[in-house]
Amino acid sequence: MLSSLLARPYFNNLEAPESLEDLKKIQETLQVSLPKTRAATVCLEIGEGSGSGVIISEDGLVLTAAHVSGGVDKEITVVLEDGRKLKGRSLGLNSETDAAMLQITDPGPFPFVEVDMDDSFKLGDWVFALGHSGGFDKERGVNVRIGRMVRQADSTVQSDCMLIGGDSGGPLFDIEGKLIAIHSRVGASKEESMHVPIREFQRSWEEMSKGEFLGEGGFAKKPEPGSGFLGVMVEENEKGEIEVKELFSKSVAEKAGIKVGAILLEIDGKALANKDSFYEALSTKGVEEFVLIRWSFQEEVFEKKIELVERP
Amino acid sequence: MRVTIFFLSALLGLPIFASSLPSEQRKNNKLVQAALSPVQLSLQSGSAVFYNDSDRKPFLYGTVVSPDGYILTKASELELVEEFHVRIDEERYRELKVVAIDTVWDLALVKAEATELTPVVWAPSSDLAHGTWVVSNGATERRYRRPRPGIISANKRAISGGTQMVLGVGLKDTDEGIVITSITEGSGAEKAKLQKGDLIIKVDDQDSKKREDFVELIKEKTAEDSIELVVKRDEETLTLDVELTSRYKLYGGSKSRNDQMSGGDNHISRRRTGFPMVIQHETQLTRRSVGGPLLTFDGECVGLNIAAVNRVEVYAIPVENLLEVLSEMMEEAEANGKN
Repeated sequence: MLSSLLARPYFNNLEAPESLEDLKKIQETLQVSLPKTRAATVCLEIGEGSGSGVIISEDGLVLTAAHVSGGVDKEITVVLEDGRKLKGRSLGLNSETDAAMLQITDPGPFPFVEVDMDDSFKLGDWVFALGHSGGFDKERGVNVRIGRMVRQADSTVQSDCMLIGGDSGGPLFDIEGKLIAIHSRVGASKEESMHVPIREFQRSWEEMSKGEFLGEGGFAKKPEPGSGFLGVMVEENEKGEIEVKELFSKSVAEKAGIKVGAILLEIDGKALANKDSFYEALSTKGVEEFVLIRWSFQEEVFEKKIELVERP
Repeated sequence: MRVTIFFLSALLGLPIFASSLPSEQRKNNKLVQAALSPVQLSLQSGSAVFYNDSDRKPFLYGTVVSPDGYILTKASELELVEEFHVRIDEERYRELKVVAIDTVWDLALVKAEATELTPVVWAPSSDLAHGTWVVSNGATERRYRRPRPGIISANKRAISGGTQMVLGVGLKDTDEGIVITSITEGSGAEKAKLQKGDLIIKVDDQDSKKREDFVELIKEKTAEDSIELVVKRDEETLTLDVELTSRYKLYGGSKSRNDQMSGGDNHISRRRTGFPMVIQHETQLTRRSVGGPLLTFDGECVGLNIAAVNRVEVYAIPVENLLEVLSEMMEEAEANGKN
């Protein structure tokens, strides 16, 4: 690849900067990289939480951390530095490495950054971290931090860029603005910032882009099939229709507008043959997963995507 | 307010690292410090270190603004220590006087009995681009100011809140009017001997019937003054002067998870909101290392570090605003001196 043939910035080959001149060269390179990388760094709002992410394609593919997206196929609001809010949906994740992807579903094009697919960074390289520390703040904008790559392991790298809550899922760049890792967590000491390197994303790129939930690690919990609760009891009526007989009060079904006496027609786009096919479809769904339900009530037909909750 | 998401690796155990950069080569350590030595000279002469007389530990920095011993520092940290001395360069000064306070910017002007100091050289502008290196005081030694690097990390802006004044009471609306439900310890309300159950009738000669209106009235106050309250207690009507206190002094800032991650009260400044304008950088400072100058690589003072906000954010008062408030404080000091 061309990029790997180009010379590395000379200061990355020094043990440490030896003069103000060396430090100024680092600053100059960083400042060339900042406009583009800041524009592609986003705040992610998920339920009540807030993290960061980075756009890596014109059509809005975003890399973030698994503990930020929290699961697959979740609705996420993506906020650009100028405050523009976009709709997004989480794709797959790896709960063992803390890697995750999401897709902006609003139409692009979006500002995006180049990804270091060659895994070309080295220990001691100057790097910078961006993120929406502490949540989105339009007046402040994206928060910049500088540091060096101080430790490397296979699935994690460490820098001395400082991180805080809200930075999670945000990007770590080499000094020339290529994405090299995603912020994951901090250690006990202030200067231990851990990031997931791009090579970990590459390992499960295909699966994650297809929306798969990988691994059984601690960064995200897979919804347990059947744990999701809708809050309706159905029976087949004399016409063979699937009729809602009981509705749990304050359930998500009630909030979606389903009424006692409603006739359920489809679940996730599939017509319902009988009552068992309804319960079978529900039994595959976990907490915080969605079902698309189509029903009729008093001659009117409704359709809604409903997020399942924990069984009371 | 949204919850910010973060994982503490303590929950997971640290990964085993294959290779590691020697610590002396890291951003805040020896080798980068050595590269900063030209700036260190300005830091050495333009910084004052405040020592607490009772434990002889440094608790704050100051910025030397004149050859004859005027020093600017952070007022809300200075006021916590009764007896202190300062060190400028290698010299120690014990004769000190706080000659002016500005509560809006949280600045104190201190006069040391000194001559021929080398004050900071002011930068022409604080408009530095994101990513520009700046230098502050790191951990200090008795005779040597250690430089600590950082970069400009966010937009220049105003920070709201902070200077809001409170009485230190709990209030509730009743059919008769506003009733005091609690008194905060150490507040102006306690000093004025307000009592639980007092019914508020007038505030500064204005009728006050609703809690909301009352709070609005107090909000307009900015300086530490007092208000006149007329209250009804049993059958008596009392007129009381009640001193107002800044909210942060009485209740402290609310502590979020990010504040705890930043080391809590030991590390973050007591007052970190309510500044008309700040520039922000990411140097690792604590509440004990602010008050000093923020320097450019030319050794010029571009601001005064006024708040360690959290582990990733430090605010500095921009040089333009600093010069304006400094000249006001000098006038005030002069006027006080004549009286």
